[in-house]
Amino acid sequence: MSEVILMVHVLFGVGCLLATLWVLVDTLNASPKNLARIHAFSKVAAACMWVAFVVGGYWYVTFYKADKAVILKGPWPFAHNFFMETKEHLVILLLLLATYLPIAAAANLAASRDARRVVLAVAALMIGLALTAEGDGAIIAMGVKMGLLAR
Amino acid sequence: MKTPKAHHENPGLSPATRSFGVALALASVVNGLLVVAKESSPAVQAGMQKLTGHHWITHSLIILGLFFVTGGILGRLNGGRGIRLSFGQLLGTVLSGVALGGLIIVGFYLVGD
Repeated sequence: MSEVILMVHVLFGVGCLLATLWVLVDTLNASPKNLARIHAFSKVAAACMWVAFVVGGYWYVTFYKADKAVILKGPWPFAHNFFMETKEHLVILLLLLATYLPIAAAANLAASRDARRVVLAVAALMIGLALTAEGDGAIIAMGVKMGLLAR
Repeated sequence: MKTPKAHHENPGLSPATRSFGVALALASVVNGLLVVAKESSPAVQAGMQKLTGHHWITHSLIILGLFFVTGGILGRLNGGRGIRLSFGQLLGTVLSGVALGGLIIVGFYLVGD
């Protein structure tokens, strides 16, 4: 069950990343024709991030303790001490940005260059943070694997 | 010469965009500072743990609450037209707030913890 929850967390995290990338590319080509799509995908990105955050948070407070013990006894303690510790707090930033994205994308992006630039900046920050979170997750998983192999 | 209105009220940026943009920057910085506070003080972390059962849940609720409350309050300023901010000021605030918040977290766990 723990693994399924973790995969749901990753799945929705990737969903947020892809939806945000869609928003970024569509905003670069914003016109009256794609405004509704940009707004819809900004909401998809926010919804995916909220699901990823809640599901991941549930997994973290319920199941992570066992993985943490394995990591800290293994050869890669930094997988928890740096990567998990930063990830669990950087994703709060990502959640804030994802929540803000549909607010910024509600403007008439076809008519306002400034509104477009705000959406582009927020989307770019989200993509950077989401890739960081995905990389952190990979290193944390590797930390568990290294800990188990060392037993 | 720009009038104060032209400088501060960009028609392309809604009151919500300006208000929640500032709230985002503020919440990002407080997020980083709260990490330093709870990791540096066992009493703070224990208090946060006691509130919801886990310090991270309390941490998340504080930051999300700060974002929504601050954004809501700033959006009601100036008769519902929101906080007055030019495009450059908004973008600078959002980018610097998120960057500073992220750097505090990464910097703390890299050298301070």
